[in-house]
Amino acid sequence: MALFPSDEWLRIYRDRINGSPEYREAAATWEGAVGFVFEAEPDRGIPEDLWLVLDLWHGECREARMVTPGEGERAPYLIRAPYFRWKEVVRGQLDPVKGMMQGKLRLQGDLATIVRYVRAANELVHLTMQVPTRFLDEPPAVSG
Amino acid sequence: MRAVVYRGVGVVEVAEVSEPEIEDPRDAIVRVGVSSICGSDLHFLNGKTPLEPGETIGHEAVGVVERVGPDVARFAPGDRVVVSFVIACGGCWFCRIGQTALCEDFRNLGAGIFGGGLAGAQAELVRVPSADTNLLSVPDGAPDERAMFVGDVLTTGYYAAARGEIRPGETVAVVGAGPVGFSCVQGALARGADRVIAIDLEPERLALVAAAGADAVNASERNPHTAVAERTGGRGADVVIEAVGSAPAFGRALEVVRRGGRVVVTGVYASETVEAQLGVWWARGIDVRFTGVCPVHAWWERTMAELEAGRLDPSPLVSHRLPLDEAPLGYELFGSRRATKVLLIP
Repeated sequence: MALFPSDEWLRIYRDRINGSPEYREAAATWEGAVGFVFEAEPDRGIPEDLWLVLDLWHGECREARMVTPGEGERAPYLIRAPYFRWKEVVRGQLDPVKGMMQGKLRLQGDLATIVRYVRAANELVHLTMQVPTRFLDEPPAVSG
Repeated sequence: MRAVVYRGVGVVEVAEVSEPEIEDPRDAIVRVGVSSICGSDLHFLNGKTPLEPGETIGHEAVGVVERVGPDVARFAPGDRVVVSFVIACGGCWFCRIGQTALCEDFRNLGAGIFGGGLAGAQAELVRVPSADTNLLSVPDGAPDERAMFVGDVLTTGYYAAARGEIRPGETVAVVGAGPVGFSCVQGALARGADRVIAIDLEPERLALVAAAGADAVNASERNPHTAVAERTGGRGADVVIEAVGSAPAFGRALEVVRRGGRVVVTGVYASETVEAQLGVWWARGIDVRFTGVCPVHAWWERTMAELEAGRLDPSPLVSHRLPLDEAPLGYELFGSRRATKVLLIP
């Protein structure tokens, strides 16, 4: 199981994205990197903000990696939320577009563009569920 | 008489100045019993707001009426009074509807040209224009040190809570736990909030609001969005009062309010700008209310009544009591955040 988020988790996720014909079709005209900020929750073992960027281009994920804040801020779309909100997204409990409209996830960038690609966004969320995931604020599963 | 005098950026001293005179038939001269240093005085001290060297400073005061002009009807020498930090004319259209902070002749004591050239209240005596409007009688049950707060910060907090139209059972979040935030916490509880969550970074301030009944959240230890969500079934607060006056604090307020909730902005703003996703604000149905400067005169009788009843008590804010002559030390303590509130006793 890969720790969410981490470069290991993102490598698996990128492969899942690039193996998805549904995503390729839904995001065929999408151009632009999306940055994600996992805001610190010091009392839950996340002492600092974590940043990652997905470089998404015409239905493909060209790169997915953890970045510094300086790198992340260059992404044309940036979505911020505390870690627990991202867990809700990955678990399929929070629709990301609804989350942005409800203020649970905060977008910097053109909301109208994101909303036009709602199918692609939903597929991205769906694909996260295919990555065996361990959350930062939860203890590793003990196998017996 | 002695008064605190601004000498230049970062420098105040106590000096001899001329005693105030009755300049208008509606004036009163008040002998100051207690004055204090307000956060906005630091704007003058730090040069953010213009003040000329030699001008006096301060706008929070309680004392005893010394002399009155012939047109003052409500007060007489010997009356114990608190002074409003907003000096309003009392007769214009805005004053008549209770929006005294929007007065056509809005002035402040001790604010130089910005406040209409009135002398400051950190002095032995202060001239109060339109005394019938800008003074409030202090009841016997209200000591000077508490009553003084009715003229500014306590009423500002109470008014902010009132603007939030808090209903019983509602959760209120207060962003910022300084003197205004503290007053907002007390105001929100007095006006029926079920729970008040106060967010700040400074442990000393959080301890004060916690003692006043707030659920204190240290933003350096816990994510405020998460903390508020946990306490509200994931929704966010029904009412958020922003009591800092900075773009990040404004953003925080929008972040922790629920859909359809009210955001009351009482922190002071000047030239800050924010990027707004208006579609998101609209879709969330957020009701953002800027209080502007508090119209003290319309609210201070209610604040005084709450103070007398014990539902509002600003005394925990007082960290230092200094003789007026030690005002420079008071500014140093307050400016470096080693004091929460400094009282100056002439």
